[in-house]
Amino acid sequence: MKRIFVLAACLGACGVLLAQNVEWPTYNGDYSGRRFSQLTQINKDNVKSLSLSWVYRVNGGADPSAAVIKATPLVKDGVMYFTAPDHAWAIDARTGHEIWKYQWSSKGGIHLGNRGAGIYENWLYFETPDCHLISLNRKDGSFRWSQSICNLDQMYYSSVAPIIIKNHVIVGVSGDDLDIPGYLEARDPETGDLQWKWMSVPKPGEPGSETWPSEDAMEHGGGMTWVPCTYDPEMNMLFVGTGNPQPVIIGKGREGHNLFTESIVALNADSGKLVWWFQPSPHDTHDWDAVQTPVLIDGEINGQPKKLVAQASRNGWFFVLDRKTGKDYVSTEYVKTNWAKGVDAKGQPIPNPAKEPKEDGALVSPNQGGAANWPPPSFSPQTGLFYVNATRAFSIYYVYDTSEKAEGWGGNDQGGWGESMLQAIDYQTGKIRWSHKWEGDSVRGGVLSTAGGLVFAGDPENNFIALDAKTGDPLWHANLGKGVSNGPMTYELNGTQYVVVAAGDSIYAFVVNR
Amino acid sequence: MRVTKVLLLALCAGAIVYGQLPDAPGRDTVKRVCGACHPAEVVLAKGMTREQWGSIVSNMISRGAKGTDAEFAQIIDYLSTNLPPKAPAATAGAAKRPRRPSNLIDEAGAADKQIVDEEAAARGSAIYKAQCVSCHGEQARGTAKDGTDLVRSLIVLEDRNGSKLGPFLAKGHPMQSGAASSSLTQAQIEDLSNYLKQEVDNTLRTGPYNKVLNVLTGDPKAGEAFFNGAGHCNQCHSPTGDLAHIASRYDPPTLQLKTVFPQTVAFGRHSMGAGRKPVTVTVTTASGEKAEGELIEMDDFNVSLRDKDGQYRSFARGPGVTVEKHDPYEAHEKLLDQYTDKEIHDVVAYLETLK
Repeated sequence: MKRIFVLAACLGACGVLLAQNVEWPTYNGDYSGRRFSQLTQINKDNVKSLSLSWVYRVNGGADPSAAVIKATPLVKDGVMYFTAPDHAWAIDARTGHEIWKYQWSSKGGIHLGNRGAGIYENWLYFETPDCHLISLNRKDGSFRWSQSICNLDQMYYSSVAPIIIKNHVIVGVSGDDLDIPGYLEARDPETGDLQWKWMSVPKPGEPGSETWPSEDAMEHGGGMTWVPCTYDPEMNMLFVGTGNPQPVIIGKGREGHNLFTESIVALNADSGKLVWWFQPSPHDTHDWDAVQTPVLIDGEINGQPKKLVAQASRNGWFFVLDRKTGKDYVSTEYVKTNWAKGVDAKGQPIPNPAKEPKEDGALVSPNQGGAANWPPPSFSPQTGLFYVNATRAFSIYYVYDTSEKAEGWGGNDQGGWGESMLQAIDYQTGKIRWSHKWEGDSVRGGVLSTAGGLVFAGDPENNFIALDAKTGDPLWHANLGKGVSNGPMTYELNGTQYVVVAAGDSIYAFVVNR
Repeated sequence: MRVTKVLLLALCAGAIVYGQLPDAPGRDTVKRVCGACHPAEVVLAKGMTREQWGSIVSNMISRGAKGTDAEFAQIIDYLSTNLPPKAPAATAGAAKRPRRPSNLIDEAGAADKQIVDEEAAARGSAIYKAQCVSCHGEQARGTAKDGTDLVRSLIVLEDRNGSKLGPFLAKGHPMQSGAASSSLTQAQIEDLSNYLKQEVDNTLRTGPYNKVLNVLTGDPKAGEAFFNGAGHCNQCHSPTGDLAHIASRYDPPTLQLKTVFPQTVAFGRHSMGAGRKPVTVTVTTASGEKAEGELIEMDDFNVSLRDKDGQYRSFARGPGVTVEKHDPYEAHEKLLDQYTDKEIHDVVAYLETLK
């Protein structure tokens, strides 16, 4: 980080130093989850001249499972690495030229998306829909080993990007079909062997077990780890969001808060032991995974310096917590919702039972897609604003299964109407500093902010847009024909800053030509 | 059949192979619009009625699927024509069960997962009722008194045509009739396996029981009062005009969805787009020129419309250019923040009287 600060400080004055490379070596660019880059070569004043440098199209749609790139590419040693289900690529970060491509022979699983890869020394790691962690040689994409990390027959699958912390490969699991417990694992980067495993649901007698009616409900209680965690090296703590409880929609049979589903948890990075927890959606019945990136902020609350962690959760609420203790400083809606009756003593929303799914339907906002979903948000220390692409949507939630023991989903939501906007949230108060309304009804795609005073985001009409980070005014855009499908990222290579985004099956790299 | 073929292909190739979407009008639209977010070919695993496809497409629109009314209508036509419900197996046991619209969430589980043989499952169901139901329950999900939940059982989930179930039962397991479980034949075990796999499929989110049960819980009188009062519905609608016989056109769940979300839910027996009113825009350029028409596309930078002569026109937005949007469903959008669930159910109960 220090080197980057020096780089920013001597911008324009020491041209030679500018030729340093600034990489993007992990899913969020760094462990903080801020997706804020110190790079300033592309900035408010020149972004109008941002133009296309190269495009890489993965396959022209020949292989449907790789047709949408949701991965945030990594850049290391001048090479860009990214993934799609069963696929990994290395391309030249300067030109988009393909260096190698790897394809895994799948044994099944849901091929919905893959969020990216992790790097440790000479090795690349990614997860596959059929429950495997794969290690490849970064040099040529050759296969090194694979390890099974979940049971396909129980309908687990994998989609998350591994995060490498010290000598731990942190892997999460996916699967919302048939009442299975979620977990997070640390694996050995050399062998793939298990180092520790943290379960999203407790065992009888353990803390949290009092929030479940039975051992059976706990054992099948869900809490998938869909999104990469963040990490504070000083505290040696991981910050992880967990998914919805299971059965997904029906709350009968799992009465209670259902810890540690729908939670932000702090874990010791070397042991996986739980340090603290905070639950954005106690007893969720709407599929509102609380997995959105827990973003680390070193800031101030009421004039006091604080180490914080913030989340814009799928349920429409924004939380700011103390990183060390989990104490809540801010709990507020970042879009208007209709499901909570207020907050409890801990700052957690209290669900309104009237807005649980019903046999005849309950009108709920947000809808199942949520106010935000897996696409990553961004925090700029320069503006103090937390940026999230948000949707305010309604749908009707139904209970379908009224039998004694409903399992799986037991209901679902139907219909819908929504509106979408980019929200800039003051992290100290949770107040919306500015809101840029999009014309379309729902928005996906991540956000990037930079020290150039910019925020990059996609809109619902397939535009990739640079906005003024302070005001939200759009400054530049390009229509990519398909919606932004990943989290945009940036890097500098031999004095040129690139901004990179995926839309559908293509990766686009933009530069300011000089 | 199509599913089986796809999975066989997958087995042979050792990789997920989706097969090809049938070559028929609308295929390119399906590929383009659905394929923007997920492999369009995943629809091959399903087979559903027009209403069910309509409901799926409606859900996709609310999740951000991008297309015009005409394109969505074309997609529903394509899907319901080319991927209709699979014919139910012609056995007495199967005939009593609800029709299976699709095979779960398409890819969940292993590529070599067992495809249920409906006839074997019907035979297995009879064995189950005779030997297992008193402990394991009507839906094989276990009972409070005893009996493992078989839908969540690893033995069942990892089983392929008796590969795990057979050895387990051979070791001896109590049965209702008092007979030894080791006396079950291989054929009976395979039948049981098919029955249990069927119960697993039924439990999944696209199983046949996943449907709205009853929305007619409201009070029609209160609904009528809301219609003419607080809801201001009568300012645009009339029970003897546009809503005459509305209840004969839509089943109650569709009626409820159309009442709350008319702008995105226009399905049912009529194809999407029928009767749906377009959003219109009036664009005034810096020079004072005015253009009016149906909104095609609008973002921060551009707006396009089709005018009354059918001419497509697009304009850059910017200083001096004003765009007025007229959303015929604005009143419905406002209601989303206002009405209670009871008011919704009351209005639906009232509309249901308009046979």
